[in-house]
Amino acid sequence: MQITVRIGEEEHNKEINEDSTIKDLLQKLQIPSETVVVKRNQFIVIEEEQIKEGDTIEIIKVIYGG
Amino acid sequence: MHACDKCGNTPVIIHRKQSGQKLCRDCFINFIQKKVLSNIRRYELIEKGDKVLVALSGGKDSIMTLDILNSLYQRNIIQLVAVTIDEGIKGYRNEGVQIASETAHEWGIKHRLVSFKEYWGRDLDEIMQVNKEKEDTRHACTYCGVLRRWILNKVAQEESATKIATGHNLDDETQSIMMNYLEGNLDNLTRIGVKTESPSPFITKIKPLREIPEKEVALYVMAQDLKVHLAGCPYAGDSFRGEVGRFIKEISINHPTIMYSTLRGFERIKTLLKNDLSPKKTMGICVNCGEPAAKELCQACTFSKELENK
Repeated sequence: MQITVRIGEEEHNKEINEDSTIKDLLQKLQIPSETVVVKRNQFIVIEEEQIKEGDTIEIIKVIYGG
Repeated sequence: MHACDKCGNTPVIIHRKQSGQKLCRDCFINFIQKKVLSNIRRYELIEKGDKVLVALSGGKDSIMTLDILNSLYQRNIIQLVAVTIDEGIKGYRNEGVQIASETAHEWGIKHRLVSFKEYWGRDLDEIMQVNKEKEDTRHACTYCGVLRRWILNKVAQEESATKIATGHNLDDETQSIMMNYLEGNLDNLTRIGVKTESPSPFITKIKPLREIPEKEVALYVMAQDLKVHLAGCPYAGDSFRGEVGRFIKEISINHPTIMYSTLRGFERIKTLLKNDLSPKKTMGICVNCGEPAAKELCQACTFSKELENK
């Protein structure tokens, strides 16, 4: 299924497996979940939440090293 | 869809791995505010009538600290003043300064903007440039931490503040504990705590967010739609703190209570350390500036002298 992924200023369409969760997506993108807050269609979600066709997923980096 | 363990509402915004609890936005905000306020009472961080100076960088930790202390200010329990220190880091500091100023203004809190340049004659970029030319490998964080603490103390005295509140969170605190363990720096270890126990005239520093993990601080400000500066300091990445922080975050994934146990374990041995390892060490006063000093000169004046000679 197709979704939109927004990270910072960048936005692109992405093809992911059916029944994927936020956690699956973060793993696929190699983003450590402990450093980000994720919004699905503008609402904050937990990493166990399932992604649906057409969702817009925004990944916001909130923790920086140091 | 997952439901909140407290009220049953959806959606939930956090699954707290350390407790298994899932919370919706309102229950999470309520939980965090209660926890911080209860720690303020438990550790007697603030007394009625205190004038609290908040170190406000505009980042998530300091904005959350100001937000929670503002609830005490609005109920006339404390007086509040915020100070933002511009270290002079090109391309990094401006946004935080702007957010800090706007937030304090919007919430009706007195705000002071001060700088390294104003108090020390040089900004951090200039200090690091001189060091680079002289092939001095001392890290920017070393200067920044010392000079910032010195300025905070000074401004707090100028404002007649009775407490200085910083936004140190659970991650910061466990990093400090681990760094000092690893470096064998026992004297510094004994000084880590939820509040400094400074004799008069030194102003007590408090850490209201000390038991809140960094990720929950971030979630709190986002859930509240508070404007914050989210960016990494360009000097921080290669620091020892950065390395230790990454290690702790990594092991926390499979051991979600590790930061709490580090803190609790440390609190138990801290008393022993204080009694047995550094029983007679007390803080003196810097002969140059009158600020707290372990030696004749405080660390800030020592750095200043070194820089003058470069």
